[in-house]
Amino acid sequence: MSSPGASRRLAGRRRELALLAFATPALLLLGVVFAWPVLRLLSLSVEGGSLEHFEKAALDGLYVSVLGDSLKIAAAVTAICLVLAYPVAFWLSRAGRIGAALGLFALLLPFWTSVLVRTYAWLVLLGRNGVVNRALRDWGLIEAPLPLLHNMAGVLIGMVQVLLPYMVLPIYAALLRVDPDLSRAAEGLGAPPWRAFLRVTFPLSLTGVSAGCALVFVLSLGFFITPALLGGGRVVMISMLIEQQVREFLDWPFAAALSAVLLLVTLAIYGLIGRITRGGRLEAA
Amino acid sequence: MITRPTRRGLLRGTGGLVAAALPLPALAQGAAPPKPDRIVVNASGGAMNSIFRRSYFAEFEKLHGIRVVDTSPVDFGKLRAMVNTGNPEWTVTEIGGQDGLRAKALNLLEPIDPAIVDRSSFPEVARDSHVFISSAYSTALGYRTDAFPNGGQPKGWAQFWDVKRFPGARSLRNHPTDNLEFALLADGVPMDKLYPLDMDRAFRKLDEIRPHITVWWTTGAQPAQLLVDKEVVLASGWNGRFFELTRRNAPVATEFTEGSLKSGCFGIPRGTRQAYWGQQFLQVMTNPRLQAIYATELSYAGLNPETINYVPEEIRPMLPVAPGNLAKQFWLDVGWWTENGAKAQERWTRWMLQR
Repeated sequence: MSSPGASRRLAGRRRELALLAFATPALLLLGVVFAWPVLRLLSLSVEGGSLEHFEKAALDGLYVSVLGDSLKIAAAVTAICLVLAYPVAFWLSRAGRIGAALGLFALLLPFWTSVLVRTYAWLVLLGRNGVVNRALRDWGLIEAPLPLLHNMAGVLIGMVQVLLPYMVLPIYAALLRVDPDLSRAAEGLGAPPWRAFLRVTFPLSLTGVSAGCALVFVLSLGFFITPALLGGGRVVMISMLIEQQVREFLDWPFAAALSAVLLLVTLAIYGLIGRITRGGRLEAA
Repeated sequence: MITRPTRRGLLRGTGGLVAAALPLPALAQGAAPPKPDRIVVNASGGAMNSIFRRSYFAEFEKLHGIRVVDTSPVDFGKLRAMVNTGNPEWTVTEIGGQDGLRAKALNLLEPIDPAIVDRSSFPEVARDSHVFISSAYSTALGYRTDAFPNGGQPKGWAQFWDVKRFPGARSLRNHPTDNLEFALLADGVPMDKLYPLDMDRAFRKLDEIRPHITVWWTTGAQPAQLLVDKEVVLASGWNGRFFELTRRNAPVATEFTEGSLKSGCFGIPRGTRQAYWGQQFLQVMTNPRLQAIYATELSYAGLNPETINYVPEEIRPMLPVAPGNLAKQFWLDVGWWTENGAKAQERWTRWMLQR
């Protein structure tokens, strides 16, 4: 039975195959230089069929509490980024062509500098005798320098600065696809602007919010040089412990077990974010 | 000066004899394998590599006509991976001080060929079969001279712990190595009775100083920066970093009392293709005139006893190996740390996380 519908479906499948062919080089590259080494690494963690490394990771309170701290820090960074990024993305999506170009340029400018350099720049800005504290003191706003560095505040400031663009860009992209006429229509039907935003524009931008949150959250979990330098040694993230095991103690099986745990937790949270935002979208529809 | 016959001299002599006895002069001279167009030397990078370029690299290139390509950073994990996959990209690599013996124990290094690398005049500690000791450095106390003028700085770790007599923010490394020793010294353990370290006692003593440590530093550049920015007035750190500041007239000086001496190591990764030229490179590194260039610029003096004679007189007191400074310090027990490092680190991380 060949109906027009079936032949259309066939054409659709053929197009899909063609697209897949174009994506093959990238997929192969990822498979060879990423997926394969990751699998090899993970297999190290169960060397000899023993789960002792996982046992140590799970039973030793140290690793559990550091993992918990890392998740909390990643969540805090994601939340701060979201609050700061949404207005920027919204403004960019509604700004004129020149405004958007300038805004995006300013947003992407920091990408041209390495994370390490930017982290050192924060040391200069946030220190006891740094630019920020000196200015506040000169203006008579504070008497003693604020503790902005070598603590959690410093870590959050540094990480948010590095990760902000990863939140702005997906939300901006999502907002661009939202037809401004929709919120105008809502207002025309009597909704005040805030309600038009909350009920129409915001739900439609949730794909971007979820992509941005997932990106920032996952990237946060992998940070170690920024927290090491700006945290004054008091902030420990799981990636720092993994790096220590790899580089200092050469205990690669244990490092692999910690990585596997981190990967699983990350995937679980990634799935959760997707589910929550999908749920939000369905409700809006 | 008495001229002693060096092993190299002797070998050269015997080489000549053998050459005369056998009709194989080329082989007797130790026929060098064909010259590659380059060798790769991996080291810490930064200021160090630029001095290497001017001293050891330049000399090696001049002597052998082989280009030296430098890479960084020093990475023990990478060394192990390279040797184990059978394809070391490095001809010679620096090895973090504590890792030299571990690299040897894990069979990651080629033996050093005494027929090429002459260390006969070096002190016993610097004549390991596989590990080449390139220099000595110290974790010592850096201080701001405006906070502690006229020699009023803490001398020794008991005084560093005395926050009433020596007030001000402090910094120590975020790592158990050195700090456990410093804590025990502060608690009254004499320098020659440190090992094996009493960890319980060390951590108890560290509890006392903890509230006064503003920053637990991670990278070697940090303590110097913290002193310059006046974030702290006292910081433990690698003496070369403070030396650099003193030479640039920053108000920072080094106190060597109870400093922790360590050696910088180099080695030839096992299985590297140009191992012979790696040996030749290490021989260049024994040259006291070149070691002195390095010592003068960075204060990390090599262990050729002749080296100090090539260093300008005003620099000598700033070197950790200057006779007066050497006696005030202790040698870190690498063996203890190789054995107990992982355990100490775990305990350290746990201790850092206590709130």
